[in-house]
Amino acid sequence: MTDSVLTVDGLTVDFGPTPAVRGVGFRIDPGEVVALVGESGSGKSVTARAVLGLLPGTATVRGSARLGERELIGAPEPTLRQVRGREVSMVFQDPATALNPVFTIGRQLRTTLRAHRRLTRAQADAEAVRLLDLVGIPDPAARTRHYPHQLSGGQRQRVVIAIALANDPRLIIADEPTTALDVTVQAEILALLRDLRDRLGTAILLITHNMGVVAELADRVVVLRDGLVEEDAPVHRLFSAPARPYTRLLLDSVPRLGHRPPATPVTTDTDALRLTDLVVTYPGGRGRPDFRAVDGVTLRVGRGEVVGLVGESGSGKSTIGRVAAGLLRPTSGSARLLDEPLEELSRRDLRAARARLGFAFQDPGSSLDPLLTVAECIAEPLRIHGVDGATHRIPELLDAVRLPATHATRKPTELSGGQRQRVGLARALALHPDLLVADEPTSALDVSVQAAILELLADLQRDLGFACLFISHDLAVVDSLAHRVIVLRAGKVEEEGPHDEVLRNPRADYTRRLVAAVPAPAPPLTAASTH
Amino acid sequence: MRRLPAQAVVGGVLVGLVVVAGLLGPLLVPHDPYTQIDGANLLGPSAAHPLGTDELNRDILARLLTGIRVDLLTSFVAVPLGALLGCAVGALATVNAALDVAVQRVFDVLLAFPQLILAIGLAAVIGPGATSVVLVVVLVEIPVFGRLLRAAVLRVREAQFVTASEVAGGGRGWVLRTHVLPNCRGPVLVQLALSMSVAVFIEGAMSVLGIGVTPPNPSLGSLLATSLRYLDLNPLFAVGPLVVIAALVLGFGLLARGAGNPALEAA
Repeated sequence: MTDSVLTVDGLTVDFGPTPAVRGVGFRIDPGEVVALVGESGSGKSVTARAVLGLLPGTATVRGSARLGERELIGAPEPTLRQVRGREVSMVFQDPATALNPVFTIGRQLRTTLRAHRRLTRAQADAEAVRLLDLVGIPDPAARTRHYPHQLSGGQRQRVVIAIALANDPRLIIADEPTTALDVTVQAEILALLRDLRDRLGTAILLITHNMGVVAELADRVVVLRDGLVEEDAPVHRLFSAPARPYTRLLLDSVPRLGHRPPATPVTTDTDALRLTDLVVTYPGGRGRPDFRAVDGVTLRVGRGEVVGLVGESGSGKSTIGRVAAGLLRPTSGSARLLDEPLEELSRRDLRAARARLGFAFQDPGSSLDPLLTVAECIAEPLRIHGVDGATHRIPELLDAVRLPATHATRKPTELSGGQRQRVGLARALALHPDLLVADEPTSALDVSVQAAILELLADLQRDLGFACLFISHDLAVVDSLAHRVIVLRAGKVEEEGPHDEVLRNPRADYTRRLVAAVPAPAPPLTAASTH
Repeated sequence: MRRLPAQAVVGGVLVGLVVVAGLLGPLLVPHDPYTQIDGANLLGPSAAHPLGTDELNRDILARLLTGIRVDLLTSFVAVPLGALLGCAVGALATVNAALDVAVQRVFDVLLAFPQLILAIGLAAVIGPGATSVVLVVVLVEIPVFGRLLRAAVLRVREAQFVTASEVAGGGRGWVLRTHVLPNCRGPVLVQLALSMSVAVFIEGAMSVLGIGVTPPNPSLGSLLATSLRYLDLNPLFAVGPLVVIAALVLGFGLLARGAGNPALEAA
């Protein structure tokens, strides 16, 4: 038996009377990448934090977590401080908040280095440059003098990883290290982590909800559900022959690129939405040129057609959604909603025009008024537009989004994320709109919930026949729903066409990179067998 | 209905007791607060006069219970009035940027004066009395609530459910009524309770300075001010108003903390 880096045994964490983690056990060997996988609330982050003693005082932790021979659970704070950053370090989800904005990255690296090692300033500086070089930051010596905001998101995450590597830790805990990043950047960071593991032999505890990331990086997978270990298996076995039904469900829920047959194109001459030469600029700071968020986009959504709008952050996709909903006036160009030019309507006419439009938001929690009941939320568009018998339509609408009628009197805070998104959809569809604008409606949801919402959306679209502008950063999600796909980059249309063509045989170079960067939810060696 | 937080319950009971005492007490006490009783000069506590008598031969208990009414007036009339005016101005200011700047500068000026300086100035203009106490409290509270509501409205207005309402076709008035104002309720309730305790304090301070309620009318503050001169002869003279003021301020304070409790927020 080899000496493991970390052995967790019977770990139990309670927050008051509610158990978050119930007897979790697993081990990580040197140089191994173990993925802790689960949906929100499964206890994966709590487990990792418990190991480092980073939980708030309200948590009671029992069980054992041994780093080599040393027991960490219940260890005194000075011991834990020695361990953190020196033997175990952490990579956080959001590199924007993990770095201190008022210090240069060189100084932040130096501080970490000198916290655990006796180094002169010059030695620490040299070491900082070496680390930045190690994580693939170009021109590292100059970069040490830069502040976090001067770096891109991907570079910031590289710096966070460099800080994590600073004292040659035996174990890196990476908590959703790529979740906040664009897909092409995510691919780069995953490649970096893989490369570091191979070169330095550092063990990695990877916490993620993304099965694609697991397949790309992990050697072994521990599936958590409601604080219990559901399955613990090598990555290839987990993907090819999952032992537990829950693991199978999790894998089946992952939207996959190119798994849906080509959709019959919608042939209609009438447009639900037509944008012509749309330009939206945001004023730049003092002395800076204006920022062109949308730069001459022309697109149409035919009646009854689902158009997927894909792009990375900053591509202008959400801005286009806001223009389509009349929330933002274009700087130039025109936006026609069912032949009504939105930019020319008066406030009153715009309000009336919105009866024909529904909008589904990304975060179902914040888009529902916490003081209203579910019924009041859904009835709001009906009441605004003076539709008779609003109360009679509530059960029907709840039924359409497959929520029990008893939920009508509940508050949004009493619902789960998926249920809230259903309420949001019921509200968006209450007036039988001709166009639904959906801005990342599933990106805040767990993967199994996302699958259910996408299925619901597809069913509703088929039954009600509304047109839909579906905005997403996730190519696989768009592929599962859209008739046509438009790829945006830096405010311009990069490529456009039927979903199976664009996402399977992309013509534009950028689309090709985008499609290639999507982590496939199948480990590299067995990729062929899952098809 | 959820259970109210314990703090709010205790606060409510304390305030409730004082309110009942102020409303019903004067009817139950056999003595008139203004009538001078022969030979009863600065008597100590007795069965006939539980808190004793004052320097002008009047029953202190009767004066204390009657005096509560002035503070009820400032707390339950002046403060809500100030709050209402302040909230209206604050909400109005969020509609127009130019109006907002103008209103904020006026608030700055009002807030620049310490409350008592404002009180002395106002008393100099319109003379001392219950009216000036009420006016000062109203004036002091307008910028407090104006600022508070403005900040709350600006915060809530950015919430996604407001955008959702706009996309559904809701106009400004609709959005304000159904979403923005109801979601501002929490901080306003807390401030209301806090301001009521401040109002008791303002009344007391003005009366101690001699610019509050005019003799022979009693108030908690004026009773306390007078009693300080006779601490050696009748210590209970001071204890009466002190206990009532403490109960009111503590009660309102606890109500404010209870109202700020998320348990009530969600109810």
